[in-house]
Amino acid sequence: MFDPEDFKYVKFLVEIGLTHYLVVATLLFSMGIFVMTTKRNAIGVLLGVEMVLNGAAINLVAFNRYHGLATVDGQVVTLFIIVLAAAEAALAVAICMNYYKNLSTIDVDRGDTLAG
Amino acid sequence: MHPYEIALIAGVAVPLLMFAVLALFGYRIGKPAAGWCAVAAVMASLALSIYVLVGWLGGTAADHFRLGQEAARYTWLTMSIGANHIPVQFGVKLDSLTVVMYFMVTLVSTCIFVFSVGYMSGHSDEVDGISKYHRFFAYLCLFEFSMLGLVISASLFFLFVFWELVGLCSYLLIGFYFDRKYASDAGIKAFVTNRVGDFGFLIGLMLVFTFLQTLDLDQAARTFAEQAHMKTGIFAPVVQIFGWHITGVTLATVMGIGLFCGAIGKSAQFPLHVWLPDAMAGPTPVSALIHAATMVAAGVYLVARIFRLLTPEAQMFVAVIGCITLTITALIAIVQTDIKKVLAYSTLSQLGYMIFGLGVGAWIAALFHLIVHAFFKAMLFLCSGQVIEGCHHEQDIRRMGGLHKKMPVTCWTFFVGVLAIAGFGIPALNFGLGGYFSKDEILAVAYERAYNWTYRFEEGAEHGAAGHHADAAQPQAKYMLAQHHAAEPDEDKILEEDAGYPGEGEIIGSEAAREARAAKQKIGRDTPVLPKWMFWLPIIIAYVTPFYMMRCWWLTFMGKPRDEEVHHHAHEMPLMWVPLVVLSIGTVFTSYFLFRPEIAEAGRQATNAAMVVAVDGGEHGELNMLSLTHEAAHNPHGALIYYVGFAWLIGMVFAWLIYRKGFILAERLRRIWPLNWAYVALEQKLFFDHVYNTVFVAGTQWVVAQAARLVDTYIIDGLANLLARITVGLANFSGWVLDAAGIDGIVNGLGETAEGLGDIVRRPQTGRIRNYLLFGTAGASLVLIAIVIVAVKIG
Repeated sequence: MFDPEDFKYVKFLVEIGLTHYLVVATLLFSMGIFVMTTKRNAIGVLLGVEMVLNGAAINLVAFNRYHGLATVDGQVVTLFIIVLAAAEAALAVAICMNYYKNLSTIDVDRGDTLAG
Repeated sequence: MHPYEIALIAGVAVPLLMFAVLALFGYRIGKPAAGWCAVAAVMASLALSIYVLVGWLGGTAADHFRLGQEAARYTWLTMSIGANHIPVQFGVKLDSLTVVMYFMVTLVSTCIFVFSVGYMSGHSDEVDGISKYHRFFAYLCLFEFSMLGLVISASLFFLFVFWELVGLCSYLLIGFYFDRKYASDAGIKAFVTNRVGDFGFLIGLMLVFTFLQTLDLDQAARTFAEQAHMKTGIFAPVVQIFGWHITGVTLATVMGIGLFCGAIGKSAQFPLHVWLPDAMAGPTPVSALIHAATMVAAGVYLVARIFRLLTPEAQMFVAVIGCITLTITALIAIVQTDIKKVLAYSTLSQLGYMIFGLGVGAWIAALFHLIVHAFFKAMLFLCSGQVIEGCHHEQDIRRMGGLHKKMPVTCWTFFVGVLAIAGFGIPALNFGLGGYFSKDEILAVAYERAYNWTYRFEEGAEHGAAGHHADAAQPQAKYMLAQHHAAEPDEDKILEEDAGYPGEGEIIGSEAAREARAAKQKIGRDTPVLPKWMFWLPIIIAYVTPFYMMRCWWLTFMGKPRDEEVHHHAHEMPLMWVPLVVLSIGTVFTSYFLFRPEIAEAGRQATNAAMVVAVDGGEHGELNMLSLTHEAAHNPHGALIYYVGFAWLIGMVFAWLIYRKGFILAERLRRIWPLNWAYVALEQKLFFDHVYNTVFVAGTQWVVAQAARLVDTYIIDGLANLLARITVGLANFSGWVLDAAGIDGIVNGLGETAEGLGDIVRRPQTGRIRNYLLFGTAGASLVLIAIVIVAVKIG
């Protein structure tokens, strides 16, 4: 009566596995990309960048957990990413400050001096 | 080759060698030495000519004839007319005329060369620091070579070659002071004027070559007579030239006149006489040698040589030209004030006498006058050179006068020359200078032709019976007499010898004599009676000649000095008057006795006696009636005594009366009508120079200017424009098609392509960071999708 096949999806929903992490990471990454491409506010873009970074970090940690062979390489790299993100945020804010100084706005679409 | 020929050719070659030496090394030989080298060369020629002359005078007429026949001929080249091969031969024309002319040329040249050494020593002869001294003598040697070559040439062709060579020397020497404008102008004038005459000469030469088919003088004359007899060749009633059939024209006359044109140019006869007075721009020895004694006489010599090629009409043409020349130039000489110009015009006048003499048939008299004239005119010119040199290049007789004390030798030798040209002689005593006899001979013949001609032959007709009727209507009978035998060669030789060199009585009554007599009557019929004016004009000029010569002499040497300065400096140079004495003493007296018989004999040979005998012979003999002595009993001479016997005295006294006190009386006479008009006309040389300058020089310049303009406008400019258009077209093609469309097209095309591509490529470059991100993401996504698809396909 009970077909194990019928529980396949249940198991997927109950048993948290790699795929879930990857889906979350993908969503986070995609949302980050979306934010970066749609936001005209430089700070918003920065937020998007952070989301992308974190998406990537989740990926790294998740893969290390399931295929890591008892190493912590993923975590280490993630820690680097976090450090990098912090540094990048500091830099990006500074850029935003200068951007504002030059253009009196932080609308990234206004900085199209490099248009061909 | 006979030794005489070798001697004559050697005498021609020596001056040529010396010319080469002087031309190449003359500058190193130095100033007096170069002159003496030339003198040595011409003296060598003189020695050779004396050798020949002495030997020649020793021979009989028959010897002379034989030597002439045996003279060698060398074929230089062979030319072809159709199937006929005509050799052009070089050889020595060995007869008395050649020998005498050769001697005359070398003797006169020797005197003048010696004189030149003295004359040139006093001249500044440097141009641009380079001495022309040796060049002068080199030219003189070249002239000597050319003149002697001309005299000995047996072929018309070589005669023409040397003819041109003497023309060249004349040009070089007239323009010797080429740094002076008038001298170089005079040289050019002489050369160009001579070209006009030589053009006619060339036409004549070509007619001879084409129709007589030979260039040898004797052969040509023989063929000419034959053709006249047969009415073929040049005498044919219908002549074909360039495909045109010409009827009714005697081409023979044209040929004779053409050849005579050469003489018109060289001997400065009437229409072309203008160059000779200007030629006096050359050094005075040159005037003496070339423009008085020898070269200008070459024209007369030529006419004498081609005498047998002249038809009666051509002879009349020659006579008319001579008559006009001797008249107008003598008249112009009256008013000249330049001592050399007076002599130049008197030369022209005397040349006119010679040409006139030849034209009326006085062959012997004309040639004899040539020889005599060469001597005394050379002497007169040397005297004038002495005067000019002594007076420091003063040529104007208005500033002279009274020079006889300063230069006695010059004065009296000049006076001898004046007497000779004036025809000094005492008729009753049969004594006189050369000019007395020679001019009298010419006038006597003219008298015969004008007054006794018809009578003479009518009388002859009574005696000479048979031959006369046979070809009564033979218009060219003259040639028949001369060359009757040419048609029958066998008989001919004997008869020719008979006819040419008779012992005095041998022939009378013989067959040949009868024929000759008959032919003589034919001459009377063929050769027209001379118009009376052609006798009277030379007679009048015989009075004018002593007048202007006496005027010239008196104004130069006698009276009071008109210019103290000139008179004060006047002096004489021994080196220069020695030749004068040689010329005056040696030649004026002896030429008559020494040369006249020789020329008379040459006349019989050269013209085959006919014409010469007929007109020059008096009326006593039949064939051998050449009057070797001047017998007053001769009818024409007897008559002439009344006409011109004392012309020299009358003319000279008249001149003395007018000019004895200088120009005072002459100035007064000049204002009287019609003398004032005559004076202006003569002073302006009868306007010949003006007319020629206006018509020919200016006319030529106008034609040339027009031609140049037309050629420039339409041809040169046309060509230039055409070229320009072609260039522009090419440039346009190259610019628009090659450059713009080709090279630029490629370059621009590349650029435009790059730009177009850039336009396309730069569209996405919005400069907006968000776009870039989008593109990057999209790109990455696409790559990922591709990878996935591929992976799925493979896997």
